[in-house]
Amino acid sequence: MASRTIRAGWIMVAFLIWLVGYPLLITLWEATGLPGDFTLQHFVEFGRRADEWRALWQSLWISMASMVLAAAIGVPMAFLFERTDFPGRQILGSLIALPVALPPLVGVIAFLFLYGESGFVARGIQRLFGLASAPWRLSGPGAILLVHAYSMYVYFYLFTRAALARLDSSLLEAAASLGAWRWRTLRTVTLPVLAPALAGAALLTFMTSLASFSAPYIFGGGFRVMTTQIVASKLNGEIAMAQVETVTLAALAFVGLWAMRRVDSGSTAVVGGVRGLAPVRRQLRRPLARWGVATLGWVLALVLLLPHFTLLLISFVPPGTWTVEIVPPVLDGSNYVTLLSSPERLRPVLNSLWMAAVATVGAIALGLATARLSIRGGGRLGRVLETLISVPWALPGTVFAIALATTFAVNLPLAGRMVLVGTPWLLPLAYLVRSLPLTGRSSLAGLRQFDSSLEEAAASLGAGWWRRLRRILLPLLRPAVMAGASLAFITALGDFVTSIVLYTFDTRPISIEILSSLRLQETGVAAVYGVLLMLVSGTAFVIWGRDQRI
Amino acid sequence: MAPFVELEQLRKSFGGQPVLTDISLTVSEGEILVLLGASGSGKTTLLRLISGFETPDEGAILVGGEEVTDLPPERRNFGMVFQHYALFPHMTVADNIAFGLESQKMPREEVEGRVSEVLELVELSGYGERRVQEISGGQQQRVALARALAPHPRLLLLDEPLSNLDPELRERTRRQLRQAIRRVGLTAIWVTHEQEEAFDVGDRVALLETGSLAQVGPPDELYLEPSSRFVAAFVGRASVLKGVLKAAGQIEIGDRRYRGHGVCWTAVMSQDLEAGEEVEVVFRPEALQLAPTDVDEGLAGEIEERRFTGEATFYLVKLAMGERLLVRGELDGPDVGEPVSVVLRSQGPPPRCFRSADGGAE
Repeated sequence: MASRTIRAGWIMVAFLIWLVGYPLLITLWEATGLPGDFTLQHFVEFGRRADEWRALWQSLWISMASMVLAAAIGVPMAFLFERTDFPGRQILGSLIALPVALPPLVGVIAFLFLYGESGFVARGIQRLFGLASAPWRLSGPGAILLVHAYSMYVYFYLFTRAALARLDSSLLEAAASLGAWRWRTLRTVTLPVLAPALAGAALLTFMTSLASFSAPYIFGGGFRVMTTQIVASKLNGEIAMAQVETVTLAALAFVGLWAMRRVDSGSTAVVGGVRGLAPVRRQLRRPLARWGVATLGWVLALVLLLPHFTLLLISFVPPGTWTVEIVPPVLDGSNYVTLLSSPERLRPVLNSLWMAAVATVGAIALGLATARLSIRGGGRLGRVLETLISVPWALPGTVFAIALATTFAVNLPLAGRMVLVGTPWLLPLAYLVRSLPLTGRSSLAGLRQFDSSLEEAAASLGAGWWRRLRRILLPLLRPAVMAGASLAFITALGDFVTSIVLYTFDTRPISIEILSSLRLQETGVAAVYGVLLMLVSGTAFVIWGRDQRI
Repeated sequence: MAPFVELEQLRKSFGGQPVLTDISLTVSEGEILVLLGASGSGKTTLLRLISGFETPDEGAILVGGEEVTDLPPERRNFGMVFQHYALFPHMTVADNIAFGLESQKMPREEVEGRVSEVLELVELSGYGERRVQEISGGQQQRVALARALAPHPRLLLLDEPLSNLDPELRERTRRQLRQAIRRVGLTAIWVTHEQEEAFDVGDRVALLETGSLAQVGPPDELYLEPSSRFVAAFVGRASVLKGVLKAAGQIEIGDRRYRGHGVCWTAVMSQDLEAGEEVEVVFRPEALQLAPTDVDEGLAGEIEERRFTGEATFYLVKLAMGERLLVRGELDGPDVGEPVSVVLRSQGPPPRCFRSADGGAE
């Protein structure tokens, strides 16, 4: 039995390498001119061009700056919501984690409607000061950073809150009993204990920002980062250059992944030693302080959630009715009617739904099988499987899009390549690969807590493997699998970054339709698509959050 | 009686580390056999070989004359009670019990009847619709037994079934389990590390010592006629002194030139020993008694510890020659620190001597 597991495990390793690693190798292979003559000419060309270096540098500093800004918002918010108590704390505390579940493109257009040059804020200021034109254009690095900070503070917020909740109150009490003042305790006890969580959040923000595509694409204009540079090269037909850029970005991401694993192994050592009671929330006694903190919390939460309300509002503005007024004069459901009554406009919604569903089901099956083989195989096999399943998570979507487009553009069945470009199957495959870490890691977490004697009990009662899977394993793993699946589904449903490289007219997903609606000045319809994504994602996020607690 | 379960020369190693070496054992139909051993002795591995969760590297397992060595567990029809019960947490008590019956494709009406039948057997009638988390540890234990018994298994395997229970509950549940198994007349193999439990439930006890069988026999045989020093020391209380075999059954201990420092006592020889050989003599506490210091053929010492366990009082005597002996005595015996002599009790179980292995007397 054991040797069968091992064999199946290594077959899975081979399959995952084909699915996850092979496209990257093919990209590298073709970037060096192979299968023709080996040449480094494209890499030399890359090194010679100033705009390539600029894109690389801009990717790096935007990611650094996003990290700092996200920390500046997320960490104080975490302290506010974890260490003090005020009316509405609990509901606001979970609401402000919502942006993490929203497709990046939805956040970007919500920002556009709120802070863009014809958004509410610009209009208000223009009217207030009687300006002839909008006071600003939302574009360039500032705009990108704004969106990044807004959507990525959640990582710092969630990580810090979790670490604070785990913080052993006896540590703080010990510090206090040794005569340390509050600031000294913070500096010498709290922050060092939080350090692994902060480092984890920082790297996660850095990697997400490095991979970010929607914000630079919509707001960047002439300001290019690596992801937008890759897509631009591809659209210009400079395929080899796009491949070299992809390889460069992938290398950068792998350095990030390596750093992340180091931080990960360090953090378990620190956190593992900390066990005890979480510190009590500070009850603010003075009414002034109490109300001050409550107001601060509410205002911050409102600011953070305002873009979503804006999106909802814009979705009710009929086309052509909102011209110079500060607030839209007419609100009705005509955009929803337009969308629902036109098969052509419904098509992208159906496309996204079926592709995301197929990808999610595939990712669940593959993730679960990999996780099981990883745990049963253990040792080196287990580690290899776990690493393979995490790789797509560390790599920017653009990298995968280019790699899949490269690999599946030719028909070489013996080399494990076939033509999928232009068929309806490439996008679901891409979504599946990108979702694999989510379903795989949640299955791993579930299986680690699963008591294997339950399965043995079922076997001793005469149940074969299929009945054990159906009656014991799946029902008990459902919370963990559902958590991963719901995140996988929202990621696929709202995907923009891989879709823009791989879509065809027939398989165009919601995100691509949002983009073309915006180009056609149909902001209301774009907003309806956004609201749809927001609703489905929100629901899935709630499912995820509920199961997280089980 | 013809053997029902036959284990033939089973070997198993994990990662090159032998866990079981050459185990051969038979169990008769309707017998309760206990596998007793310390942790790491291989008793759980042996049970997992029998249940089919592990396959032996060598050897064969036969049940009712049929070889099952390579049969997967789901096709063996053995009932198993797990250490942590392994009740399915997402099912009710009745669903748990019905699980094995549904594997056998039993019609629904019959399933219900059988479920209430076994619930009655384990004295849990009316608990069928409870969730398994809602019932106490002792009740969970009985549900686990009912679940294992429901599909009429050929053989019942129990892996430390009582180790999760409080001590006071353990004894009662032990009796209930034993009665239930007896009533059905099932053959059972029961794993435990507790000697008292093994003696209470087992028709025969198989004592394992680091992967091989040290002795197999009825509890009284293991206690009164241990085949090795290991068995003697593992089963019940015992103390060991070194000595020299003078003649058959005559052991000289210590130096007899000094009064109280040496004796010549009679002992049963468990092995073929020759005169002049160094031996180890194993004493049960009830084989010894305390005597005044001026007695003949006594070992002098002083009371180091006095342990009252309710049914008896035990005195740990530090002998003048340095070793210690555990002696069963009277409630109103001497106090700690008082000088005493230890002599052989005439009616007690005779001390047994074994060829001396290296290692200190304890």
